[in-house]
Parts: sequence; C-alpha cells; structure tokens
Amino acid sequence: MTGAGAHAGPPGAERGAAGCSGRDAVWQSGKITLFRYRPIARPAGGVPLLIVYALVNRPYMMDLQEDRSLIRGLLAAGLDVYLIDWGYPDGADRFTTLADYIDCHLAGCVERIRETHRLDALNILGVCQGGVFSLCYSALHPQHVRNLVTMVTPVDFHTPADLLSKWTRKIDVPAWVGEGNVSGEALNQLFLSLMPFRLTQQKYVHLLAGGLDPARMENFMRVEQWIFDSPDQAGAAFREFVVWLYQENRLVHNTLEIAGRKVDLRALRLPILNLIGKRDHLVPPESSAALERLVGSDDYTALELDLGHIGMYISERAQREVPGKIAEWLAAR
Amino acid sequence: MEPDLWRQWQTIAAQFASLGQGPAPAAQGSQAPRDAFGFSPFIDSAGRFAAEARAFIESSANGSASSVIDAARKFSDFLRDQALGAQPPWAAAFGMGNPNAAGAAAQWDTPAMGATREHQQRTQRMVEAWRRIDDAQRRLQRLWSDTLRDAAASFAARVGTVQPSVPSAEAPNRLYDTWIDCAEDAYARMAHGDEFCGALADYVNASSQWRGEMQGAIEQWAKMLDLPTRSEINTLAKRLKALEERLRTAQTQRRPKQAKPRQRQPKVAASRPRSARRKAKT
Repeated sequence: MTGAGAHAGPPGAERGAAGCSGRDAVWQSGKITLFRYRPIARPAGGVPLLIVYALVNRPYMMDLQEDRSLIRGLLAAGLDVYLIDWGYPDGADRFTTLADYIDCHLAGCVERIRETHRLDALNILGVCQGGVFSLCYSALHPQHVRNLVTMVTPVDFHTPADLLSKWTRKIDVPAWVGEGNVSGEALNQLFLSLMPFRLTQQKYVHLLAGGLDPARMENFMRVEQWIFDSPDQAGAAFREFVVWLYQENRLVHNTLEIAGRKVDLRALRLPILNLIGKRDHLVPPESSAALERLVGSDDYTALELDLGHIGMYISERAQREVPGKIAEWLAAR
Repeated sequence: MEPDLWRQWQTIAAQFASLGQGPAPAAQGSQAPRDAFGFSPFIDSAGRFAAEARAFIESSANGSASSVIDAARKFSDFLRDQALGAQPPWAAAFGMGNPNAAGAAAQWDTPAMGATREHQQRTQRMVEAWRRIDDAQRRLQRLWSDTLRDAAASFAARVGTVQPSVPSAEAPNRLYDTWIDCAEDAYARMAHGDEFCGALADYVNASSQWRGEMQGAIEQWAKMLDLPTRSEINTLAKRLKALEERLRTAQTQRRPKQAKPRQRQPKVAASRPRSARRKAKT
C-alpha cells in the first residue's frame, strides 16, 4: 500500500458504485449488455419491465444503494425488471448512429425478452435520453410495447427554460463532433456550467460544513462517483441527437426519422405514464409535459413530482413514491 | 458545534488529514493527505470567506446604517474578486484552451505563395481561427465579469438592508448561501441571454475549425512518414460497419418465421376516452 494512504478517499468513497441488487447478464451485443434483476419479492405476474437508461451517464444511479434504489423499489413491488447497460463507447463506436442504438440494440433487447417470455409486447421505462429512445422505439414498433413509462424525458427541446438547448442552437455541431466521439469529461464540464456556483463550490462547502459522518460521506461520494462517471458519446449518435432534437426539435415538428422511418408520436396509442421533475434543471418540466399534446394515446397520465433531475432517482421522496406509482399504474393495465 | 465557522472547517480539515496519513511515507509531506482529497481549494476559500464574513458581521452589528452598506459593499467586492480568478467551467467543456492568438498571428498575414501555398493557407486559417477564439474568449470573460459585478451588487443590496443579529455560527453559512443564490441568479440571467449564447457558439465554432485544420496538418505529416492517419482508420471503420449492417440484414432475412408468441390478455381495456388523461401533482 505504498503511498496509497495519502490518496485514499474519505470513508466509503473507495467503494465501487456498480449497483446493489443481484442481476444476471442475459444478452450481449458488442458493448451493450441486457441485465435481468433477481426477484426479491413475490412476482406480481405482469409482463416484464425494460429500463432504457440514457447514454450520458451510467445506469447504476437507478440502483445506487439499498435504501436509494428505484430498481429495488420496483423489484419489491414484484416486477420483473430488465435494464440495458450501454457500456463505454470507444473510438471504434464513433459511427454508431441513433438508428443503431434504437432500431438495433434496443430492438435486440426487446426481442430477446419477448422470446424468453413468449410475449408480443412488454413494458418499457425510459429515463431521460433513454425516454426519447423509448418514445422512438414505441412509435416505430408499437406492437412490441404494451405500456410506456417516461421519466424526466425531454420532448420539446425549445422551451424557454432549456439552457442546454439555447447554448447549442448556434453551434456547428457536425464541426464540433467531427468524426470522433465526444468526451464524457467535456460533457461533465458542460453540465457543471449550467449552475457553476452551486455545482462546483456550494455542494462541497456544505459537505465540509456538515461534518464527516461516514454514512453521509458514503452517500455523497457514491453520487459524486456517478456524476463524473460519464462515458464518451458515440460521435454520430451524439451529432444526430443534438442536431435533430436540440437544434431542430424534430419530435415536436413531427419530422424525426430513424432508420429511414418516420417517428410519429401521434401514432402512440398505448398507455403512457410521464414522470416529471418540477425542479429539473436539465430537462425543464415544460419540455417533458409537452408529450401530452403530441401523442395519440387516450390513456395518458402525467405525474409531476417536486424533485430535481437526480432527485427523481435517489431522493428519499422518490424512494417512497416513484416505484409504487409505477407499479400501481402498470398493475392497472 | 464550534462557534466559529473557520475553526469548524479547520477541524474537519484536520480530520481529513489524519485519515489519510496512516502508512503513507513521510516524504510525501504534510500537505499531501489534505490535498489528496481535493478539498484544499475549498478549505482555503472557506477560510478566507469566514474571515471576511466575520469582519462584515462584526462591523455591521456595531455600526450605523451607512457603515452596514459600506461593509456589505466591501464584502461583496471580496466575493467578486474571489470568483473572478476562477476558470469558467465552459472553457473546458468544449475541449479547447486559449491558443494565444495575438503573438502568432502577425507573421502569417502575408499572402500565401509558392509550392507550399496549400500548407501556408491552412496555417493562415488556423491563425484566423485563433483570432476568433481569442475574441470569443474575451467576450465570455467580460460577461463573466459582468455577472460577478451584478451578483455582488445584488448581494450587497440583500445583506445591506438587513441588520444582522448577534453573530452566530450559522451567520456565515447563511451569508455564503445568500452569495451563491445571488451569483446563480446573475449567472442564469447572463447564460440565457443572446450575447452569451452567441459568444459561446463563436468560441466553439472557432475551436472546431482550429482543431480540424490542426488534424489536417498532422495527417499531412503522417502521410510523409507513411504512418496511418485517422482518416484511413475511419474509412476502415465505416467499411466494417457497413459489412456488419449487411450481415445483420442477411441474418434477419434468413431467419425462419417463428410461431406467433403467446399474448397475454390485458387486465383492462387499453383504450380509454380522451377524458381519461390525468395530471397529478405531488
């Protein structure tokens, strides 16, 4: 342990944050892995729920620790939970497109689950950017999705409070991305720039001022590790996402095409539960709420929670309310 | 709880340091454990903040209304100076630093001539991009300075109108949070504005051009040395991806038609009247 003591973190900080619930890899395609979580309660007997997380951070935020795990809450409600881990793209993935992610990898995961359970359709929970993927997939393959839950999902990218959108509007994104990937580290800096005083100063001062309680430090460091554990983004998919959605707002204008096929949200007739964070600084609530006027579903429910973007996964309130609401809503359908 | 915020933070810092010492070799020095956690900037900053906050609280608690305003102005000037030296986060977000355009530009202002004209022109384009980066950075830095000025004014206005009560351990914390609120409010007003968005876009676009030209220059050198270039590797990657897609399509077409999977019946009718749309706020 030569010198390691000098660089060891505070208590709890050294532990890996790969998730706390038991799970098995059931399918792989390149760097993408489909996990199935082991049950912890009597099965509720419904169709499986596939969680589609964003590309920009790692999905273990959904299963951070036993008392802060949305996945654990879903398992406790008896749901059969699957999750897509997109992995860490590298230089070989620079030409991976949105069509590859949605119509190949996501579609492959759905197909695998359908084969396993001999089902036509399953339930999908899309989170943030994963919610956009889920909307696209559901519009392209409506026969394979029974119920759709979207969580802190941007839909209208041109709402007044959307700072990221304003910043990217005049940027020459193809030139910025070039033919390479986009560094996760650079994206982290971009996200910090949204609230620089709070995110680069105040939270650390508060941490110091609150004392060194090991449990509190462990909680803090787990989230901290997650925040800065940002995979690089496959260049082509990133370019398409920013240009088509942040700049051109194609979901709202009904002009988005994936793999040469139109993504028409009006064709979505399935039941939809839309979970919205009222204090979300990354995805303004108005951006998520726009889904209601765009989809053709008659069974649409919006649930606004007084939470921020990350609080939607890990806050105490989210633990109390979100899994139960999802399970209850699914059970009724 | 320690009555003095600075001492309180010093105590915490000492705990951090003792945590890290253990078997670490003495040669690493006494500062290493504290630095290892990355908290030194925050501890040092907190120390300066606590000292200034204490001076402000003491002078305003015992002084007249005008002295309170003076003390608030002095304190807000301190806060502004503290943040002015910080590198705005967006500077790193797009992966480019300041290429120091001014010094290098002049020698490339002459027209490109001769056998190396193409390379001279590339260099000229890089220099031009440097100029644009430099200009955009100046505009961003000016906006950052304006933000700090507005934040400081807002802070002085907020704390200058409130007569502090007896100094307490919580008072510096509240002052600090008030400063952060003022700073974020001022920053948000600036960051949403057209001027900032335009300067940021100019900065990123010029940086992208500079990087593209630099890549071109490096590829030129690589070809001269018969080294593989990124363009060649990209071409191979594209060919491989096209082959994978053709293989996937072929596999899909050759897959035998499967029996229709069993479909479970929904528990309730999926289709409901439009009026079934619900909104819940909790």
